[in-house]
Amino acid sequence: MTTTEQYNQVFCETFEIEESKLVGLKYQSVQLWDSIGHMSLVAALEDAFDIMMETDDIIDLSSYEK
Amino acid sequence: MLLKGKNSVITGCLQGIGKATLETFANNGSNVWACAQAPNDDFEAFCKELAQRNDVWIKPIYFDLLDQDQMKAALKIISSDKLPIHSLVNIAGMTKDAIFHMIPMDQMKMIFEVNFFSQMYITQYITKLMVRQKGGSVINISSISALDGSYGQLSYSASKAALIGATKTLSAELADKGVRVNAIAPGVIATDMNKIVPENIIAGHVKKMSIKRLGNSFEVSNAILYLASDLSAYVTGQVLRIDGGIK
Repeated sequence: MTTTEQYNQVFCETFEIEESKLVGLKYQSVQLWDSIGHMSLVAALEDAFDIMMETDDIIDLSSYEK
Repeated sequence: MLLKGKNSVITGCLQGIGKATLETFANNGSNVWACAQAPNDDFEAFCKELAQRNDVWIKPIYFDLLDQDQMKAALKIISSDKLPIHSLVNIAGMTKDAIFHMIPMDQMKMIFEVNFFSQMYITQYITKLMVRQKGGSVINISSISALDGSYGQLSYSASKAALIGATKTLSAELADKGVRVNAIAPGVIATDMNKIVPENIIAGHVKKMSIKRLGNSFEVSNAILYLASDLSAYVTGQVLRIDGGIK
């Protein structure tokens, strides 16, 4: 799986949406992307890419494109 | 052995309550990332002997609480071990006593930086790991001065009070993720921090205690041990005074 495919999979699974909905997706634009969902997204990204995100980056991650 | 096989992060391990907590945790089977400000041969020898005696590992980790880059690097060392972190004990702290109208704002901000903001930075990082592993215990070392006030210690008592507010809020936010957060409020404990306090002041404190003596660091570390262990599995959001019944 490519990095982009992995990234997309995380968003789709976390927010239970189709890949077609990813472009333009923003924080709080779908029901599951609230603050709790945001931390689930962060945890999933960290697991998928074996990284630890800084708090500033967590706060900045306000859209799929970011 | 209340912490057999567990892994703990403890700050302020060089002396006082931190050092006693390191010893208490190791004696109870915990591996420890022992955080201190700067490399110290005596401290490293102490850690080595303690680890060997208890068949645990103790990893000294050094960083300055006023340097976020150092803290970040230290936390990365801890997380790169890829081990579960069962408890975080925020002990490191400082005080610079002065009456309110003689406290420079820079000094007040520095004390808040060490006693509160740096603890929050560390806690933010470590509890993220705890949430992922669905469990953990955070123990913040506050002070009775946070609850009762303390003449000449505004910066210290206010920063320690901030820790209590954070403890209660974090306990609510993290409970459903399996992370407990509690605080200890030590009274007047016989540590290096209190050695510089004039004898008449100490005598005045002792007079107000039901148990008329200073506490020792192990009497505080035993309470920390309780809060880190499964014995306190139903305890969160609490502030436990260890103060000899001071009024």
